Amino acid sequence: MSEPIPFTVIGGFLGAGKTTLLNRLLGGAEGRRFAVLVNDFGALDIDGGLVAVHGGDTIALANGCLCCTIGDSLVTTLLGLLERPERFDHIVVEASGVADPGRIADLAVLEPRLSRDGVIVVVDAAEVRARATDRRTGDTVLRQLKAADLLVLNKIDLAEELPALRDWLGVQSTAPTLEARHGDVPLDLLFGLDRAGASGHSSPVDAFASWSYQWSEPVERADLLAMLREAPGEVLRAKGIVRFADTPDRRSVVHLVGRRLDISDEGPWGDTAGSRLVMLGLRPVLGSLPRETTT
Amino acid sequence: MTTTVYSARRIITMNPNRPFASHVAVRDGRILGAGSLEELKGWGKVDLDTRFADKVILPGFVEGHSHAFEGGVWKFPYVGYFDRTSPEGKCAAGLKSIDEVVAALQAHEKTLPKGTSLLAWGFDPIYFGGRRMGLADVDRISTERPVVIVHSNFHVANANTPVLAKAGITRTTNVHGIVKDAAGEPTGELQEMAAKYMAYRAAGVEIAAVLSDEQAVWRFARVAQLAGVTTATDLHNELPESTVEGYLKATGSDDFPIRLLPAFAATSVPPTDGVARLQALVKKNNDKLRFQLVKIVTDGSIQGLSARMRWPGYYDGTPNGVWNVGPDDIDRILLAYHRAGFQVHIHTNGDEASEVGIEAVERALAAAPRWDHRHTLQHAQMADAGQFRRMKALGICANLFANHLYYWGDIHYARTLGPERAERMDACATALATGVPLAIHCDAPVTPIGPLFTAWCAVNRLTASGRTLGEAEKIPVADALRAITLGAAYTLKLDEELGSIDVGKRADFAILDDDPLSVPPEKLKDVGVWGTVLGGKVFEAPKA
Ligand SMILES: [Zn+2]
Ligand SMILES: [Zn+2]
Repeated sequence: MSEPIPFTVIGGFLGAGKTTLLNRLLGGAEGRRFAVLVNDFGALDIDGGLVAVHGGDTIALANGCLCCTIGDSLVTTLLGLLERPERFDHIVVEASGVADPGRIADLAVLEPRLSRDGVIVVVDAAEVRARATDRRTGDTVLRQLKAADLLVLNKIDLAEELPALRDWLGVQSTAPTLEARHGDVPLDLLFGLDRAGASGHSSPVDAFASWSYQWSEPVERADLLAMLREAPGEVLRAKGIVRFADTPDRRSVVHLVGRRLDISDEGPWGDTAGSRLVMLGLRPVLGSLPRETTT
Repeated sequence: MTTTVYSARRIITMNPNRPFASHVAVRDGRILGAGSLEELKGWGKVDLDTRFADKVILPGFVEGHSHAFEGGVWKFPYVGYFDRTSPEGKCAAGLKSIDEVVAALQAHEKTLPKGTSLLAWGFDPIYFGGRRMGLADVDRISTERPVVIVHSNFHVANANTPVLAKAGITRTTNVHGIVKDAAGEPTGELQEMAAKYMAYRAAGVEIAAVLSDEQAVWRFARVAQLAGVTTATDLHNELPESTVEGYLKATGSDDFPIRLLPAFAATSVPPTDGVARLQALVKKNNDKLRFQLVKIVTDGSIQGLSARMRWPGYYDGTPNGVWNVGPDDIDRILLAYHRAGFQVHIHTNGDEASEVGIEAVERALAAAPRWDHRHTLQHAQMADAGQFRRMKALGICANLFANHLYYWGDIHYARTLGPERAERMDACATALATGVPLAIHCDAPVTPIGPLFTAWCAVNRLTASGRTLGEAEKIPVADALRAITLGAAYTLKLDEELGSIDVGKRADFAILDDDPLSVPPEKLKDVGVWGTVLGGKVFEAPKA
């Protein structure tokens, strides 16, 4: 069986900026084939020149990406997508404004052809606190914040009291927050490292940077976990294949998206190269481990 | 031009000018008149047909909220607790223990070809004294092929080891809806999204088509007809081309025994596309197939713990449920179909959902005034007197889920709603007293299709354990019979065409073995259905 496809869910309230983010993704896919499941094509701003085939509930783009409308059932739409002959590098689902994106991400845990990547919740900085106190939808907003692995605090230019808002968000969610205007977030941070586990070649923007690590000797598990966990606001994403000192004959896959860290066993080590890990983050990270290469 | 006059023990017409008659005359599939034989002979030469001489004739029953999915699931074995009539008219006996379910499916398993999966439906463990089905039970059916047993609520399922193994579900799998035992091992019980996903996964993608193909709609029509139904809704369908084609083919047959009204699932496409699509579908309408309804689903279900409730919420403290179409999105959808002149049926189980539905209609009417829209709240199970007053003021109809009183009333009383709200749930008497147009429904396949049973629920309000749930909300038999005929027809804008036995209406009848107005009210559900007449054509139900 081929390698599972990373699966990302984008949640957040109606008008928070999910579509803006998806538009940027489709426009800047750069050689990676994304399949994007959305609620409504009409809201997407797909450049006419980019459309290759428009087939009712799907639009194939010239850059290899595909958009599907979810229609009435995400489950059947997703299963239908997985049956298609094309091979996608990444599947992204736009959750409806009232859905719990964490529940949708669970599908990737149940489906062997998918690997759960992250739950990204887009938050409207100007409106979120009012929304969160709404009698009929406040609990839904708070559930979405709790489900997030990574928060995109959008429209910060429109927020009135940003420091207070940051504090409040910190209480509602333990996910690291990326602040943005017009959904302008480096796509690598959201959709990660490509399938090979190396970072994209786009140069780091502003305060974002990526580091590559390689170790020839087995790695102390506690040291690595401490480095990843103790700097949650700084390491936003990490992916790698690691030979831990406590299981030197096993191949462990380390995958971090925001606050969520997964370590899975992928069989015997059987590899002549050493451990390698790529991290994306906000500021330089100082760990107890030797850093061998830097980008 | 032939005119047939049927004699009957009694004809209950739902026409207040002539509520009872002994004869009904039919010409060209329509009702020429109801009265005495002498009166009807005035129309000219008639053929007297006496086969219903000892039967009681009512207007054909109208099921305002059912799903053709009922016909889809009958492709698979039924393993529910209660007896249920199959499309062939056989009684599928209720299975009274987990062992009985396992034994029935072990036998069924032997009939299946190698390499296929086994699906069953209708399982309901709430009557087994707290014992849940476990992995060991389902593995007794097979450890080779995937086995998925879907519960009666269609939101929970039990699976066997091959299903779990294929999905890699183990004690470390951390997914909502995977039930684990005290030792942390998955029990094979799957809930909500996990249940749906695994069922589809095990059955293959083509299952969706199988569940609403031409054969499925035939099975649905037969089950409905056996219960005396002549008009039924398929109240939520994306209406893909394959389904529409199956509907057209089936309803094109003279032998198709019901009139079918599919409701277009509003969220399946953006509203502008949906309006255009429905306008195109309306042109395909025939005598037995009507595209004209739209469905919007706001919340989940009360017993599924996903209803949207107003304060104080669930009796047992369960957090409030989930929105499908929430308060911020409903206007956009409703208004598009409202402006286009369609009738919208809004699923609202909890009272917060009803409130959102009512207010959305109110805003739609302010934005685009429209008379006689007959938008309908479907279920509206927790609606209180105030909400019914608002519905009345806005011209909203209510189709209440009377069958819930029996099947889940005990759970609503003890856990979800608590005694006070459980006693006024599905408030038929309040709806009638307020003047809200009333229908009652079964929501098949959630509960079996059977309007006389539904009427019995509204009249007696008895739960499965025998508790009377709200004396004050009981309604008289005559009102309940109206709710399953003319009342339901009104909520579908068909009341000028059917729903009563009156001159010029379609000759759609339910033929009963006994008089529902004469039997004791607690026996209403036991009145036998001989068959139906649809547009003058007689459909005898096979005897069980
Ligand atoms: Zn419903
Ligand atoms: Zn329904």
